[in-house]
Amino acid sequence: MSSCAHRWSLIDIRSGYLVVEGCHHCGARGTYFSTEIAPPVEEYQEGPHHWQYMVSSQAVSFNMRCDICGETVDLGDVEGLMLCTCENPDCEIGRMAHEMGRNTSIYVALCSDSTHETNPDCVSDQGIAALNEYFNQRLREGPKKILVLPCKMCGDVDCCPGIVIADSGLIEL
Amino acid sequence: MSEIVEKTGLEPLNTHDDAEVAGVYVSDMASDVITGATAGSMLVTLQTHKNFIAAANLVDAGMVVFAHGKKPDDDVIQLADRVGLALFTTADDTWKFALKLADLGLR
Repeated sequence: MSSCAHRWSLIDIRSGYLVVEGCHHCGARGTYFSTEIAPPVEEYQEGPHHWQYMVSSQAVSFNMRCDICGETVDLGDVEGLMLCTCENPDCEIGRMAHEMGRNTSIYVALCSDSTHETNPDCVSDQGIAALNEYFNQRLREGPKKILVLPCKMCGDVDCCPGIVIADSGLIEL
Repeated sequence: MSEIVEKTGLEPLNTHDDAEVAGVYVSDMASDVITGATAGSMLVTLQTHKNFIAAANLVDAGMVVFAHGKKPDDDVIQLADRVGLALFTTADDTWKFALKLADLGLR
C-alpha cells in the first residue's frame, strides 16, 4: 500500500458515448463507453447475456494520476457515475444514504454488467478509493462529503433510483 | 453570491445560503462540468436536466444559473434542494450574462 497522500488529477480525458444495453433473457443492464463516431447498436452474445442496444448519451471517460508520486489509476472499469436517490432500507447503499443524511451525496460507480455475471469484480477497490479521494479533495470546507461506492453494493442497480451523469437532454436545449 | 444576485438581477428558484463565488464556468454538458468546473464556482447553462444537478453537486458548484429564462421542472429543483445547490434563472442569454459578470470583475 502506498504511503503517499495522493493528490489526484484527471488524465486521458476522452469524449464518447455511454452506451446502455439490455439482455432480454435475464433483464440485465450492460453499460460501456465507446469512442466511435456513432454509438454501436449491434446485438451480440457475451457469456449468459444477449445484449441489445437500448440508449446512449454523450459522456466522458478518464483515468487518474497522482501529482505527488505519479501513480496512475485505470478507471476503464467505471462506465458511469450515478447520484443515488435511493433510501430503501433493504438496499445497502439506500440504507447508508438514509443513515448518512443530506450532507453526504452517494455516487454509485457503474460497471459494465449490472448482474456482475460477466464482471464479478465490479469496479476495482483502487478505482473506488481514487474517485473518493479526488472528489472529496476538491470540496469546499464544510460538512459536505462525496461517497463513491461500487454498484455491486446496490441491491438491484437496475431498479434503484438515481441519476446517471451523462449528456442526455441536449436536444431539448 | 448575494452581491452578484442583486447586481445582475438573478431570480432565485430555491432557498439558499449566501456564499463566496469562486469563479465562473459556462457549459451545457454534465460531462464537461465534472472534468472542468471547480468547487464554489457559478455554473451558467441552458441545461435544465437532472443530470446537470448531479454533476454540479459532484464538483461542489456554488450555484447554477439557467440562462435565457430557462427554468427546470419542479423535480429538478427538489433534487437541488436535497443536495443544497442554489438555483437561479436570468432572462439574459449566456453572452449578455457573462458580460454582466465581467463588468462586476468576475474573471
